[in-house]
Amino acid sequence: MSALLSAGALVAVTAWYWQLLTVLLVLIAVLTIAAGLIWYERRLLSLVQDRYGPNRVGPLGLLQVLADTFKILFKEDWTPPFSDRRVFVVAPSLVLVTALLSFMVVPVAEGWVVIDLNVGLLFILAMSSLAVYSVVLAGWSSHSKYSLIGGLRAAAQMVSYEVFMGLSLIGVVTLAGSFNLSDIVAAQQRSIYYVFPQFIGFVVFLVAGFAETRRIPFDLVEAESELVAGYHTEYSGMKFGLFMVGEYVAITLVSALIVTLFFGGWLGPWLPGVVWFLIKTLLFITLFIIVRGTFPRLRYDQLMALGWKAMLPLSLLNLLITGAIVVAGAG
Amino acid sequence: MTILFTIAAVVAVLSTLMVVTRTNLVHALLYLVVSLFAVAVVFYTLGAPFVAALEVIVYAGAIMMLFLFAVMLLNVGADSPLRVPRLAWVGPGILVAVLLAEVVYGLTRQTQPLAGVEVGPQAVSEALYGPYVLGVELASMLLLAALIGARHVAARARDEEEAAESMERARGLSETAGEAPGQGAVDDPGRLTEEGDA
Amino acid sequence: MASVSLDHALVLAAILFAIGFAGLLTRRNLIVVLACIEIMLNAGGLAFVAAGARWGQADGQVMFLFVLAMAAAEVAVGLAIAIRFRQSLKSLDVDDADEMKG
Repeated sequence: MSALLSAGALVAVTAWYWQLLTVLLVLIAVLTIAAGLIWYERRLLSLVQDRYGPNRVGPLGLLQVLADTFKILFKEDWTPPFSDRRVFVVAPSLVLVTALLSFMVVPVAEGWVVIDLNVGLLFILAMSSLAVYSVVLAGWSSHSKYSLIGGLRAAAQMVSYEVFMGLSLIGVVTLAGSFNLSDIVAAQQRSIYYVFPQFIGFVVFLVAGFAETRRIPFDLVEAESELVAGYHTEYSGMKFGLFMVGEYVAITLVSALIVTLFFGGWLGPWLPGVVWFLIKTLLFITLFIIVRGTFPRLRYDQLMALGWKAMLPLSLLNLLITGAIVVAGAG
Repeated sequence: MTILFTIAAVVAVLSTLMVVTRTNLVHALLYLVVSLFAVAVVFYTLGAPFVAALEVIVYAGAIMMLFLFAVMLLNVGADSPLRVPRLAWVGPGILVAVLLAEVVYGLTRQTQPLAGVEVGPQAVSEALYGPYVLGVELASMLLLAALIGARHVAARARDEEEAAESMERARGLSETAGEAPGQGAVDDPGRLTEEGDA
Repeated sequence: MASVSLDHALVLAAILFAIGFAGLLTRRNLIVVLACIEIMLNAGGLAFVAAGARWGQADGQVMFLFVLAMAAAEVAVGLAIAIRFRQSLKSLDVDDADEMKG
């Protein structure tokens, strides 16, 4: 262990500029992808719904993102006088910060990771449990009843689904024998992509991912037909923009996690690792968007029933079977 | 590591002080989240990364969220004044200060170095499911009892409230329309999110 | 100070415990009282983890996990009682519950 620590220190001393470069690269890449997703989602969604979508600004409407950004930046940054000012301002930044921090431990390619943390997966779970605060505090500090109901729903929904998210990952951790994401990918190189032995875990993680990012089958938090806009009813300008960007970063994060944990991360023939990672991640982002175009919104009791009556037993069963297989293999 | 420990310790003490002195309930709870974070960093510097992660996931993520949920559900704020008279701090303050001075005096008479090794998740799990497996079983029983107990206490409240409401409604129908409506749960967002914290 | 030693961590735990204790004695709001109990439990857990780190053993962390489970159970029941308290007494002041019927 001490040898490991000193090796880590050595890397940190010799290559601090390399680390800084990695940080900047990941930051820029993630934010670019998140911005590109705004365009991608609108175009793909309109394809699903048989219409054009934004196609006027720039080639294929690509500059629409820029136009939207400028519009949102020049809007009045209004803080409602009846709100709890300090909490109201802090809440939107939390969602972006936690999602970006989670990217620190995600390996983009072999050795391309900001921090090779031993408890990487736990770190991601910790960050996702903090992301809840953003929504709940936004709902509470707005002092408006729609926001409050949205915040309450968010608290119950996200805390519940975090349980299944954590449980579904334990199977992967058991097989790989590590919480370190790089080790998990390396373990998949030795055996097989974990989507095959961990298919139930994959399904549960996917559903929990939709719930944690508050995407459409589970977007009761901002259900516009009953709650106006849910927790961000009172938000406008760039504060609202932060919520939007945070949502896209979270989608990218969940897709990247699915790829890393179940689909072998950077592994793949011929092409370099980064390219494979990006292709796989983009596939799952596309899945997120298509689901938004096809599924109706669940009712609140259906959401809770799905969680506690279907997802919890499934993930426990998965855990039981995985444990039995690992023990049988070891003994 | 020493610098990190010192910073985290100072943050923990200051934010905990804010928790016990704030008059806004939600602000107090948020300071408690910050304090738990700082303690998680202290755990990390002590070579316990697994517990540090669990501190954030369970304490800051789940337990404090439950607190916030309850505060939002109760819609606290208008009633129950949180202000404490300044003089009320004097007696407990002196007693606690004396106690703290005694403990600190006893603790700092000799310096014990730390082992300085990192104890990872694997070692903790092996201890947890080895010699301590009976404790795990007991803890699971405790949690099950708490789950059932909490559901029972909270559900009884809801049933009684509903019974009182329907009684008041029935009384309101039988009496003249001039009567003021009963002060049942008028502004209770909890009705819309049933079984949320079960 | 050269490096972190056991007594630094234990003194930190003692300070946190004392703050939580003072709050518990002074504050009258039920939810703040519960939060103060959380502070004290957390300080106790910190002392356990520090003692485990003194010998480089996992036992301290295991004890912290038990403290964690107990804290979760305590909060679940405590908050359920708080909701009940508020509904029957229309307040959250613990001094309002000074009668033995209710």
